[in-house]
Amino acid sequence: MTALQTIAVGFDGSADSTVAARWAFDLARRVGADVVLVHAVGLLGHLDRGTGALDLATLGQRLIEESSFNPERVRWHVADGDACSVLTRVMGDPVGADLLVVGTRGRGAHAGILIGSTSLELAQHATFPLVIIPREDPPPA
Amino acid sequence: MLVVSAPVDDSGHEDPGHPERHDRVGAVMAGIDELGLGEDVKVAPLHRATRAELTRVHQAGYLDDLGAFCYGGGGDIDEDTYATYDSWSIATLAAGAGLAVVEELRRHDDGVGFVVTRPPGHHALRDRAMGFCLLNNIAVTAASLVAEGERVLIVDWDVHHGNGTQSIFWDDPNVLYVSTHQWPLFPGSGVPQEIGGPNALGTTVNLPVPPGATGDVLRGAIDLVAAPVIDQFAPTWVLVSAGFDAHRDDPMADLALTSGDFAQLAGLVGTFVPRKGRLAMFLEGGYDLDALRTSVAATLAQVLDAPYQSESATHGGPGEDAVARAQRERLVALRQQEASGPNAKDSP
Repeated sequence: MTALQTIAVGFDGSADSTVAARWAFDLARRVGADVVLVHAVGLLGHLDRGTGALDLATLGQRLIEESSFNPERVRWHVADGDACSVLTRVMGDPVGADLLVVGTRGRGAHAGILIGSTSLELAQHATFPLVIIPREDPPPA
Repeated sequence: MLVVSAPVDDSGHEDPGHPERHDRVGAVMAGIDELGLGEDVKVAPLHRATRAELTRVHQAGYLDDLGAFCYGGGGDIDEDTYATYDSWSIATLAAGAGLAVVEELRRHDDGVGFVVTRPPGHHALRDRAMGFCLLNNIAVTAASLVAEGERVLIVDWDVHHGNGTQSIFWDDPNVLYVSTHQWPLFPGSGVPQEIGGPNALGTTVNLPVPPGATGDVLRGAIDLVAAPVIDQFAPTWVLVSAGFDAHRDDPMADLALTSGDFAQLAGLVGTFVPRKGRLAMFLEGGYDLDALRTSVAATLAQVLDAPYQSESATHGGPGEDAVARAQRERLVALRQQEASGPNAKDSP
């Protein structure tokens, strides 16, 4: 088994993706890997609805500082597409990840339903190492 | 004669502030009204897609989940796509509308169909909603035609690649999928090397063009790369994923087309139609209401030979080199795939 060199993490600014990013930074620090924050730009990205690129960069920067991770070992990969399609491609160029980390739910998707779950889609279709990080607080019953 | 789909009250599928909105249908109908076609407009009967018709292109489990999600109150499916309590009912009517229009065209053996429904469909995958789309409307109609032994050409001139339609018919040799779209742009698929599955090599034709591309670039791409493939395919039906978001005023993308360009595109596509009554267009994108209205009017005026003063067609934008590259990359991919033999590969 080869050492982890690049860990990609799906990051859209949601609480669950933040938990996933923290976990990825922690793992990367322990194994000496780089981290790539991956963000998918959807259809509405063209209208700058929701979290804009600037807000996302600020959130990401804050996370890096909180995690005391070397910012020089962090890259961003922003690509057009739905989250599932973009994240499925991170093993290839230009990201070249060895491992993908995602949260349980991204922005917009609802807890407790199968539809709209990127993590479930990835779990069904991924042919690469994938870690799904559970949310910190259980959803309300 | 124009055959339009039956009007549906789709106001229940609405998310305040979302660009894919009820007013789009009003803009399309205003464009049709401007042509003054009078009794030359026939309205197809209302038809809700049956489960059998839907499962030709969608997984049964996905249909169950989507229906349950809607009747549970709906919500955001992803960052782009929403559903409401009424969305299942509205989407199944949208998915069935093309079937009714096709039947009406057959009955008259004449005319052009226009399916004026929402939500749009060409991003919807077999097992997933995305890109504003819940059910793949054009695919439901195409699959039904294929089941009856027809050979279907789908031309998709929406500014976004129709990844759902491509994926559904990836390995079906009876459907030829041709897409012009801006690249790079959502959904991130649609490169020229995507040419179809092992049983249908060459039946997917992707023609990506850069931001700023003008109408002549898109027409040239279809003429140079797609037309020979279409001639060889010899379709018995032509369906169009008619998105109008490649218009220069549309906020969702950066191409530079005008209503006059859509008229010329429609004229070009019209040359692929094998006989009268075998052309049906499906509304996909188009989010600037004035651009949508005038582009629909110009498109239909062209194929119905009706008078309409559209904007001038555009020329001289970037993309000629991208088209030449697409042709080369497609040919290389074809040679490589043919040389490697049957090799099951999923649609990207």
